[in-house]
This record gives sequence, C-alpha cells and structure tokens, in this order.
Amino acid sequence: MNSGLYQATLGAAVASQAGRLVLLAGVPLLWLVFMHIGPIYQMAKISFLVQYPLQAGQEASYTLANYAIFFSESIYFLPLIRSFIFSFAATAVTLIVVFPVAYYVAKVVRPDRRSKALLLLLVPFWAGELIRTFSVIMLLANRGALNVLLRELGFIDRPIPMLYTSFSLGFGLVYLICLYMLLPLYSSIEKIPKHLLDAAADLGAGPVTRFRRIVLPLSRDGIVSGCSLVFLTCIGVFATPMLLGGPTTVMFPETISGFFHGASDKWPVGASFALIMLVSALTTAGIFMRLVGGKATKLM
Amino acid sequence: MKDFTASRRTTLKLLGGAAAGALGVPYIIRPRPAWAQSKVLNVTTYDKFLPADFVEKFQKDTGIQVNIRLTDDQGKQYNLLAAEGANPSTDMVTVAGHRYTQFIASNLLAPLDTGKIPNWKNLNPAYQNAPWTKVNDKLWGLPILAGYEGLAINTNYVKDPQSWDVMFDEQYKGMTSYVVSDFMTIVMKYLGFDGDFTTYVDKPEEAQKATNAARDFLIKQKGMVRKYYDAGSEVQQMFLNEDIYLAQCWSGPAAKLIAEGHPIRLSVPKEGTFGFCYTLNIVNNAANAENAYKLLDAILADPAVGASMTRQSGFASTISGVPELLNDLERAANSLPQEQVERIVFFSSINRDMKNEMIDKATAEVKAA
Repeated sequence: MNSGLYQATLGAAVASQAGRLVLLAGVPLLWLVFMHIGPIYQMAKISFLVQYPLQAGQEASYTLANYAIFFSESIYFLPLIRSFIFSFAATAVTLIVVFPVAYYVAKVVRPDRRSKALLLLLVPFWAGELIRTFSVIMLLANRGALNVLLRELGFIDRPIPMLYTSFSLGFGLVYLICLYMLLPLYSSIEKIPKHLLDAAADLGAGPVTRFRRIVLPLSRDGIVSGCSLVFLTCIGVFATPMLLGGPTTVMFPETISGFFHGASDKWPVGASFALIMLVSALTTAGIFMRLVGGKATKLM
Repeated sequence: MKDFTASRRTTLKLLGGAAAGALGVPYIIRPRPAWAQSKVLNVTTYDKFLPADFVEKFQKDTGIQVNIRLTDDQGKQYNLLAAEGANPSTDMVTVAGHRYTQFIASNLLAPLDTGKIPNWKNLNPAYQNAPWTKVNDKLWGLPILAGYEGLAINTNYVKDPQSWDVMFDEQYKGMTSYVVSDFMTIVMKYLGFDGDFTTYVDKPEEAQKATNAARDFLIKQKGMVRKYYDAGSEVQQMFLNEDIYLAQCWSGPAAKLIAEGHPIRLSVPKEGTFGFCYTLNIVNNAANAENAYKLLDAILADPAVGASMTRQSGFASTISGVPELLNDLERAANSLPQEQVERIVFFSSINRDMKNEMIDKATAEVKAA
C-alpha cells in the first residue's frame, strides 16, 4: 500500500494504543454483543413484561409474575428435571463412547495420519443437524434400515419399536453431539507425553493403572471441557427431542416453546422459563467445572 | 509497535459502546413498508398453499411481483404482525380457523370489501355467508381451503372403526398419535363435554371441569401413544414408516397420502369432530392492499387454481367447480359419506380466549406428566 495512504488510514488507526485496541477488540466485542448479550438481554426484558408483543400505542408494564408461574406450578418442574437427568446421562454415555475413539486417534494412529483420521470422523458433521436427525429416523423406524435388516436375517418377525423412545432420543443425541466431546478430548490426550506412558509400562504398570494414574488425570481438562460443552448443548437442544422423542421424553425446551407457539401466546412466560433454564444450566456446568477441573479449568 | 493490554475499564467502555450501537441497530435496519412499491405484493402463507404456476401467471398478467414468506405456525405469524404494529412487512397472511377471531380482535386484519373482488361469486356459496366468517358484521378473509380433524387409519391393520374408542383400544397400544391440543377438544366431545367451549361463556368452572376431565383421561391413556406430533408431515412420515396405525389427523395431510395411493382411510367417528378453514387475509395498514385484492380475485377466477391447491395441500378447496377437475382418487381423498359430513362442526368464534387459555395449560400438563 502507498505509504502516504497507509499513514492516513490504517497507519493512523494503529499509531495509538487506543486505535489498535479498538481495531483488534472491535470484531469480537461486536460478535459478543450481537450474538450473545443482545439476544439474552432482549429475552430477559421480555420475561418481565406483562404482555408481548405490545399493541400499537400500548405502554410496557413489568412484572415478576412470569417467574412465579414456574415456582407455583409443579407441572413445569418435571420437564426441567427430565432435561437435566437426560443431559447428565447423555453426557456420561458420550464420554464413555468417545474417549476410546479420541485416545485411538491421538495415541495409536501414526502422527502423519492423525489429521486424516480426524477429518474422517468429522465428515458426518458436514451435514446439518436436521439431516442427521432424519437419518436416525430412517435408521430406527419400524420400516427403517435396522428393523429391515433384523427381519431379513430372521431375528425378528415384527419390527421392534425403537423410534420415539428414550433409546432413539439418547442414540440420536449422542450421535449429534459427540463432536463436542471428541475435539477437547483429542486435544488434551494428544498432549500427554508418550514417554510417561512408556516409563510407567517399564516400571510394571498395566494398562488399567496407566489409564487411571496417567491418562485420566492428564486428560482432565479435556474431559471437563467436553462434558461441559455436551451438557450445555444437550440441555438446550430442541429439534432432536421433538423429532426422535416420544410421549414420555418431553423436555423443557419443548415446554418453553409451547408458550411461544400455543394459542395463548405467552411469550413473557416462555422468556422467563428460558432464563430459568439458562441460569440453572450454567450454574450446574460451572459447579461441575469447579469441582472436577479445579479453579484453573477453562472451557476450551 | 507498542504492546497494549485491555484493562477492565477499557474493556467495559468498549463493551458499552458496542452494546449501545447494537441496541440502535434495530431502529436503523427495521423493515419499512413498501409505500412506493405499487407493483409488489408480500404474502405470508403455508408451503404449497399458493401454486407456483399460478403465482408465475399472476405476476406475468399483472406485473405485480409476489414475494412469498412461508410460515409454519400461526403463533409466529400473529406475534410478528402484532410486533410490527402500523408498519406491517407483509400485505397478506393465511389464518387458520381457530385463530381467525384472535387476529381480528387484535386489529391485525382489514375487513374485506367483496365489491373489489369481481369473481367473489365463484366462491362456494356454503362459504360466502358461513356464520364464522362474519365478525362484527364484517367479512375478514377469503376462505381458500377447508379441512377437519379426522380419524386416519392404516387399512392394512385397522378395520373400519366407528368410534374414537379405537384410539384407546389396547390392541393398538403404542401405535397411535395425535396433536395433544387438537385431540383434547375431540376427547372432550367424546366424553360428552363441549370441546369448542361455546356453551361455557361466563362459566369458567364448568369449562375447567370439562378440560380437566379430558386432560386426566389423556394422561391415563398416555401409554397408548407412540408420539405427540405437531406438523402434518410428521404424521405422514409415521404412517409411511408404519410406526403408527391410527391417528387424529388434519384432513389435508391424510388426504394427500390417500391421493398418492397409500393404504390410509380418513373418517369422522360417530362422536363427531371439528372443521376449520384457512383464510387468506389482507392485513391492517397493508402497503399494497389493492394488489392483494387482485390476487384474491385471480384465485377465484379459475377453479384450476383451487384444484391445484387441493392437490398440493390435501385440503378441500372452497372454490366452486373444483371437484370436477380432480381425478377419482383425489376426489375420494377429500370426500366423506353424508352422515359423516354432518358430524363436523366448524370451530366457532365464541369464547376463544377461555378455550385457548385452558387447552394450552392442559396440553402442557399432559406432555409433562
């Protein structure tokens, strides 16, 4: 760039500390405000309104009654508790399923092939969440691939109802969110020095001992990050339980959506419930991170 | 270059500045009505309600560009319109029967002047003066498609049921499905109550008692259900995958399966059911209301448009002369024996707020149980 022009434009901007700070911090701050703080602020504001949307010329009035509904109507506790239990279970299963995969890629696959192995694992995630959810439907339906296979092999006469059950929901969720567990785990396991494992083996430690005394403690950061990401994703997931779940797997996000879609249109109540879910989920994840990861643990 | 670090104060200042900017953005980028765009028409409707070839021909004939915004939920449409107030970003909306009075009461629709629709005479006379279409002695929309909440069965597995009883028959455990809020009103009818709440005006205790009875019944029968669904495409998919054999189903999605040759039958059991219409409405303060009238007139001009709507959506057309244009299978999919037609009661416009309030809460309770 012509130096005069540079000095007049970008050069002038980066000349001062404040200018550099604005340039560098501007994009992430705008992202933070537009994508995170803004929507949450708007939701919080709606949650205190008596009515939303306001009719033309109507003045806004505020109330705490929308929050009181959650604490006074016991029927809304159950879906929230169900969401928490299901999210804990899905997180645990995802950890158990994904850990060996992450370990295999990080420690067993040759270093020059790790990128390709990771890429191969990520291929399904190039498709959208809904497409992958529908693929689970095609797999587990009464006339889906699995039932057809079992029938062709002579194992069953009648289809096994797998879809719209806790099983199909759990299966679908683990499939959809395992990426959030895989990457943090891979990242932390890969950093474990191989010579520690070799030394432990030389000193007579068996595989279980090596795992318990070396791999597990040194991959703690990855476990904490992965579990937190999976848990927070699970608890807020909406479409998957709607498409794969049954009558006994109605989760809290579906309850919340009822206030936005039902004929009564109680957006403020839905917004207050969404805030309650956000705060309770973040609190739970925060406690987990502090208890398991210690004070220094970060999400990524 | 000198290093810099962001102090807490500097970060907060930047965050505050960005937040102020972000809060100001909605006022800068808010949608503006197309006052000057006389050759534009913005329509909010369901997928496949307005046939593409009709829209193309209309645009060619009139020079009016039709912008279609798809909706899948009345609530979203209602709330968006209410939030936009006097500056709506759409000229027309498609309102389902159970929401008709709500849109009108909220002052979101403009009354329809049938004098501006020369082809009004082509609307089936049964819909020209249907009691539910008039509110405050005014007409508020053009009925375009009609349907009812029927009992759909897979004929390979279920034989000619006469009553809603079959939905609670143990032999079909785990093979039934329904929209909880819709089926609750039918269950109220099935249990001998008024599922449309028209007789419960100023009788909230009686209405609550009836609603609670239906709610408790559905909770007790929860084990019978494979899935609570929300969209017509879901119930179609469940029938095709044979995940269910029976369902409470809007006539449109079921009729479409029948017309495509699947072993599905739709009927109205002896206890009866509810019917509804979709209306195409001009919104209050619509920037292009005159263009909207031209579209309504064009829809009524040719029964082939109605036939195309029926083929695409599965719902029955309200336009005269459409049945003659359908083939036997399409006609059969949309026809019922006379005795079953007489069991259909159209949703009323009376006492909607009480009904919505109680049914929504009971629906949440059934799902949560």
